[in-house]
Amino acid sequence: MENKSHGGVDLSRRGFLKSAGGLAAGGALGQGATAAASAGLLGDGVERASGEVEIELTLNGTKRKVKVEPRTTLLSVLRHRVEPALTGTKEVCDMGSCGACTVHVDSKPAYACLLLAIDCQGKAITTIEGLAQGDTLHPVQQAFCEHDALMCGFCTPGFVMALSACLDAKPNATLDELKEACAGNVCRCGTYPHVFQAAVAAQRAKQAGGAR
Amino acid sequence: MSSKLPASPLEPRAQDGAPKKKKILVPKVENGHETMVEIEVDDVAGPEWGPREKLRLLNHEFVRVDAVDKVTGRARYTHDVRLAGMLYAKFVACPLPHAEVRVDLSAAKQVPGVVEARVVRDGEIRFVGQPVAVVAAKTREAAEDGARAIKLDLKPLPFAVTREQSLAANAPEVNRRGNASKPDERGDAAEVTAAFARCAAAIEATYSVPVQHHACLETHGAVVDVPSNDAATVYHSTQATFASAGEFKGPLKVSDVEVINEHMGGGFGSKFEAGVEGRVASELARDLKVPIHLMLSRKDEFLAAGNRSGCTATVKLGGTQDGKLVALSASVDRFGGLGGGSHAGLPYIYSVETSHRSMRSVYTHLDGNRAMRAPGHPQASFAMESALDELAYALGVDLVEIRKRNVGDVHAKQLERAAREIGWAEHPHKSKPDLSDAVVKVGIGFGLSQWGGGGHPECRVTVDIAPDGGVRATVGSQDLGTGVRTYVAAIVAEELGLPLGGVTARIGRTSYGPANASGGSVTTASLAPAVKHAAFNAKRSLLEALAKTLASAPDELVLDTQGVYDARSKRRLSWKDACATLPPAGISAVGEWQANLASNGVHGAQAAKVRVDTRTGEIQVVKMVCVQDCGLPLNRTGVRSQIFGGMIQALSYALFEERVIEPDLGLALNANFEDYKLAASREIPEMVAILDDDDTRGVIGMAEATIVPGHSAIANAIHNACGVRLRSMPLTCDKLLLGLAALKKG
Repeated sequence: MENKSHGGVDLSRRGFLKSAGGLAAGGALGQGATAAASAGLLGDGVERASGEVEIELTLNGTKRKVKVEPRTTLLSVLRHRVEPALTGTKEVCDMGSCGACTVHVDSKPAYACLLLAIDCQGKAITTIEGLAQGDTLHPVQQAFCEHDALMCGFCTPGFVMALSACLDAKPNATLDELKEACAGNVCRCGTYPHVFQAAVAAQRAKQAGGAR
Repeated sequence: MSSKLPASPLEPRAQDGAPKKKKILVPKVENGHETMVEIEVDDVAGPEWGPREKLRLLNHEFVRVDAVDKVTGRARYTHDVRLAGMLYAKFVACPLPHAEVRVDLSAAKQVPGVVEARVVRDGEIRFVGQPVAVVAAKTREAAEDGARAIKLDLKPLPFAVTREQSLAANAPEVNRRGNASKPDERGDAAEVTAAFARCAAAIEATYSVPVQHHACLETHGAVVDVPSNDAATVYHSTQATFASAGEFKGPLKVSDVEVINEHMGGGFGSKFEAGVEGRVASELARDLKVPIHLMLSRKDEFLAAGNRSGCTATVKLGGTQDGKLVALSASVDRFGGLGGGSHAGLPYIYSVETSHRSMRSVYTHLDGNRAMRAPGHPQASFAMESALDELAYALGVDLVEIRKRNVGDVHAKQLERAAREIGWAEHPHKSKPDLSDAVVKVGIGFGLSQWGGGGHPECRVTVDIAPDGGVRATVGSQDLGTGVRTYVAAIVAEELGLPLGGVTARIGRTSYGPANASGGSVTTASLAPAVKHAAFNAKRSLLEALAKTLASAPDELVLDTQGVYDARSKRRLSWKDACATLPPAGISAVGEWQANLASNGVHGAQAAKVRVDTRTGEIQVVKMVCVQDCGLPLNRTGVRSQIFGGMIQALSYALFEERVIEPDLGLALNANFEDYKLAASREIPEMVAILDDDDTRGVIGMAEATIVPGHSAIANAIHNACGVRLRSMPLTCDKLLLGLAALKKG
């Protein structure tokens, strides 16, 4: 995926910061000390953090305080650091090659494993748990059920988030564009033909209903 | 089995009152490998599926009962289990194929957040990726820090990771009994040599397939709760929930283990054992007295959680002028790492008058293969279908005709159907490849499949009817994604005249009652009959109870979608009103396997159409067709999904998948989803799945058959398109370009 599809977040920093965090921890080993939590501005307008700091994230419309390290990914926050955990977002490759952790960041699809949690402050994050409105499924969710676009279901949240973002942004997407929208998602069970059928059916339902 | 059930007046009895017995053959599966065994069952009249045209739900298309849970993120997988105080455990693996390893845990134990670091195995390590240490920490990140802080003192030892290295004169000892197993020989070599003399033509070639990974999206692993009072609860991503419970007892030192497996993210044959991850998680939970979450990392999964063995097969095949197969000789080497590998044998599916084959395992310093969807069959298919195609071209016989000539009627009919659907009649290159100068060319190829898929008695299903009309079907079976939970509900709903939503299916934990391990496509044929039997018994109990209340007789009562009709009083009760007459405890009935409801042995025919670009070597599969039988399809949508899944996995195997181990250093080069490519949305062709409705048998599992021939059909289609025979998978553009260049040179 290109960087621009991640809501403008520069993904290349993530790998660096993740390993930098690891180095920091390694460096502290000899002293048996833990890195002191600190966060603040050094006068250049750039926020820096080390150790564990508390930040606020907007998850599915609710503001949540969460403790993170600078290297903590959004995926790790969703699955391991909020209570109750938002485990609908799946961890499969943890390196941006499978799409199973796709979420919406300011309505754009993004891999949660490639985003640092601290970079997500002030952005609206929607996970699979927040896609339906109450008991009303998003048309993509509804169509996935009706067209059997899932088997084991482990990739399903990622596909649903990728396709719903595409259709919400581009109601008249062609079939080719729909396939492109989920080209970064991997399904091992082989649900693709039904996924495509569901995507087209969801598009029709959205156009007919116009509600969403 | 049935002895546990209440005696029924409907069942004929032998003179002494015990049910009559009959002997039947059923498949038994161990670690995904199927053999047939004879068992004795009650010879009694039980439930029947009934005429297909009368079925209301089964053999129709319906929505999975757990679909909403899966599209909303509510479905809970083992990875998603969160227990209070839980620690995250992570393995450290040996990066070398063969080494003496010493593990230094001291630095890891000092890492903030790390609670425990342990040696899993030291001394001689025999495969790349073998877990040697484990860290348990309060967060995932701390576990990663701890794993990184573990120091491995590695003394490299001589290794063999390829066939050539393993068989070399000075090769290191991989296996104490030799680096190659004693060849398993079948048939008479001298007879076959004589038979080749009678052949109008014969071809000889070597075909090879690489090691393929299961690539389950949910990695292997377990979440183990703290044992107490001689009991423990384990959440395990497993295809064998009940066998797993037994395996966890030892390391947990308890006599009662409940395994919970509500949903699982794929297995494909690799998840039959608790494994080192299950054992280590158990020991940590037991010793630290905190719940442990130990799921393999993606890299661990690639290197230490099984694979489909590779093989090379040298095949000589000869036939008569009209394409009757007369002689086959084959020599096969299986590559299953430290395991034996699997291969279904040659000839495969097609009848050959005389054959001889020799097969052996060649061992390497790589993790052992495990069962993978139709273990051994795709390997056999590739060699057989390729050789058969080569012979057809050598003889100048139509590719469909030569296949029909050497198989039974069911396969022949299915082939005709697949040929029709792929457009064979209009295709100009039926017995010769397209050798024209066209730049972009289209070819068609075929392949056949077979599988057992029969059932056996192992499941016990309970159906409960409550006075409020609620119905619950309960059995411990796991659902790999095939739709087990859905057909459990559907079979009961069908029997009781209810809508699908009127039945709640509870599956996926050992306390729900025994069920088979899901391997060899045996689940449907093992479980569905037991569900039907439980529903049948529940219905009978309900009608007996109602007959008393209504002062009628069970025979006078008819249960259908409108409720219960009493022919004696001409009275009708809705389902709810009928259930309201039940005592507070409601009705509970048990069901077990019924031989008459299942059958065994499925067939399939597949066709592939590919487009090759002779300038770039690009290979694009444009259409795939599958004609598949499976006895009674329970959910036609679900069956179609399974068929597509098998075909897509075969397409992916054909074009992309290959474990790459660097031979000089023995390092794994593509143990991640970036470098190990799986087919995805851009590679999916037009796909047609046809259920063979001529099959009127009882239920049979079909999932494994669908993965058997797709890659063979694609390889054959490539040759048909341009005259290049790719005998080594994956079928990549570089190989095609080299083939085209060789063809041009003549």
